[in-house]
Amino acid sequence: MKQAQTIIDANRKGLTLNVKELFAYKDLFYILAYRDYRVRYAQTFLGFAWAFIQPLATLLIFTIVFGKAAKVDTGDIPYPIFALCGMSAWSYFAFVMNQSGNSIIGAQGMVKKIYFPRLVIPLSKAVVGLIDFIITFMFLIILLVIYGIVPSSNIIFLPFFILMGVISALAVGIWLSALTIRYRDFQHIIPFMTQLGLYATPIAYPAKLLIGSLPEWANALYFMNPMAGVVEGFRWSIIGGEMPSEYSIISFSLTILLFISSLFYFKKVEKVMADLV
Amino acid sequence: MSDIAIKVDGLSKLYKIGTQKSGSFRESFSSLFTSNNNKEQNDDAQKDFWALNDVSFEIKKGEAVGIIGRNGAGKSTLLKVLSRITEPTKGRIEINGRVASLLEVGTGFHPELTGRENIFLNGTILGMSRREVKAKFDEIVDFSGVEKFIDTPVKHYSSGMYVRLAFAVAAHLEPEILIIDEVLAVGDAEFQKKCLGKMEDVSKNQGRTVLFVSHNMGAVQNLCKQVIVLSKGKLNYSGKTINGINQYLKSKNSNSLDLLKFRLKEADKLKFRFTNYEIESEEGFKIDSVLTGMSFIIRTHYEAITEIEELIIRIQIVDSKGNIVSTLNNFHSLYPFKNLKRKSSVACKILKNPLMEGIYTLNFQALINRSVVDDIDNVGKLMVYEGDFFNTGKIPHIKEGVLIEHTWLI
Repeated sequence: MKQAQTIIDANRKGLTLNVKELFAYKDLFYILAYRDYRVRYAQTFLGFAWAFIQPLATLLIFTIVFGKAAKVDTGDIPYPIFALCGMSAWSYFAFVMNQSGNSIIGAQGMVKKIYFPRLVIPLSKAVVGLIDFIITFMFLIILLVIYGIVPSSNIIFLPFFILMGVISALAVGIWLSALTIRYRDFQHIIPFMTQLGLYATPIAYPAKLLIGSLPEWANALYFMNPMAGVVEGFRWSIIGGEMPSEYSIISFSLTILLFISSLFYFKKVEKVMADLV
Repeated sequence: MSDIAIKVDGLSKLYKIGTQKSGSFRESFSSLFTSNNNKEQNDDAQKDFWALNDVSFEIKKGEAVGIIGRNGAGKSTLLKVLSRITEPTKGRIEINGRVASLLEVGTGFHPELTGRENIFLNGTILGMSRREVKAKFDEIVDFSGVEKFIDTPVKHYSSGMYVRLAFAVAAHLEPEILIIDEVLAVGDAEFQKKCLGKMEDVSKNQGRTVLFVSHNMGAVQNLCKQVIVLSKGKLNYSGKTINGINQYLKSKNSNSLDLLKFRLKEADKLKFRFTNYEIESEEGFKIDSVLTGMSFIIRTHYEAITEIEELIIRIQIVDSKGNIVSTLNNFHSLYPFKNLKRKSSVACKILKNPLMEGIYTLNFQALINRSVVDDIDNVGKLMVYEGDFFNTGKIPHIKEGVLIEHTWLI
């Protein structure tokens, strides 16, 4: 039998991500996600029904406020479908960002008492969010059937945009989880970001509404939002229409950059995590 | 393959007390703009605290090693560094073999989940794979004795059941190296016994390496042949358990001598007086606390104005409630000391300490030629910790009375 050997050396330099070790803890990853899923609606009267009520209520308000009252122009796409496309991607992002952002603080009992790759904690939240995502996505399919709309052939790109959504949610979430350890201020920034992002992302309105009326630099700034590209692309791959604007490239490259940097920053904070929380 | 399980070399861990901790954003932000001058002041305010300071030792495979030391000696920090929860500031550790560390029972247990779910959750957190937990599941449930409630959320469990289930998971880990903090401080006496038994099984019969931190000297004595004694972050002793425990029990600065010293100035021309006393272990170490069941010596130093023809010493042991537990008197147990030097010491050896855990005080009395020449109460303080009185590995957790050596007949 091969003997496992561990070397702990205070002088070891450099940051290695150790993907192999992360993979060895895949069971923990699943079981943490399972725990969150099981515990989420525990002791609630409506239980799992909440997972349906929340997106429905939001959709209703969006349709009334933006669709009927503000009369946002969505071309020949019915407003509820337009909004739900954006919402399903956005609420996944917001959920994962929130959950993983606060995840290390929430798991401090574990962090202080046992070793495992800490990255498992925020990563597992991405799986939990998928459950809600699937529910809103089912609504979307039902709405498409009701309105008799056939998804566009762009749908083959959908997996790419879902993947980008997962990556961007994790990127922001991992950054935040590590930052909150150092600076608790970020705990207060997270709800603020969720609120701001709801309006700063083309969810309730098409991005071209803004692109047309803003100067070039502002457009670039707008697409610095990692979710701007994802939401636009997500909607495009389902209901077709105009290609996402070329600014999406900014959004996607930033997401990748944010994700890679988040892993390294997390790794750096991981060393002192148990001492800080 | 080397026979070393753990090799620790120059291990140090620094904690900064004061400013740095989970700082606020403003602090970091504002420190970007403060001048160097200010920064130096900040550094002064920040106190360095070496929780571990240049600790080196080796543990061989299959050894059960106890880590003992007073509060704040660095035991927990050492465990945390060895279990990779926190990184050392300096030094190097080499660990050969799969490690499982138990710094707490039931890490990650969620009250809303059932016993069954928590077994899987806790098991995977402790480093088992799902398959491993599955294979041991029945055994774990059996050991815990909560099979009836296995599908009930653990929040409805009694605290005893909770701990039993949690320990059951931990007990079925199969690491080559097991690192355990004082997890045995939980649960009822019967369950503690079960845990100790399991640990004994792991270390003695299965030949695994066990690192065990405890304040329970009895358990350490029973379980470990080797101990590591830490004191203020430094390695104080590493070697045989009995020597290590003596080292641990060693007095640092005893205040109870003040009364004796104070008297020295007061009356110079007394016929006889006690000048000092010491508690010693059988091996001659000076200590200030003892274990139940161990042999120890109470040595009294005296000074008289002439040589002493016949001396009787009486030592009373008084418990914290003020009851005299026992009187040691050489007139009864031996014979009065004859022809002693003017200035010397006499000692009383207690062959097997019957005192239960607690704090006791000592009263000293001296008689020369049958008349009292010195009589002083509450001089000495004697700390007694639980120990293995009957040499059975079973530590009685009684607080009343004394233990009497006995045997049972049919």
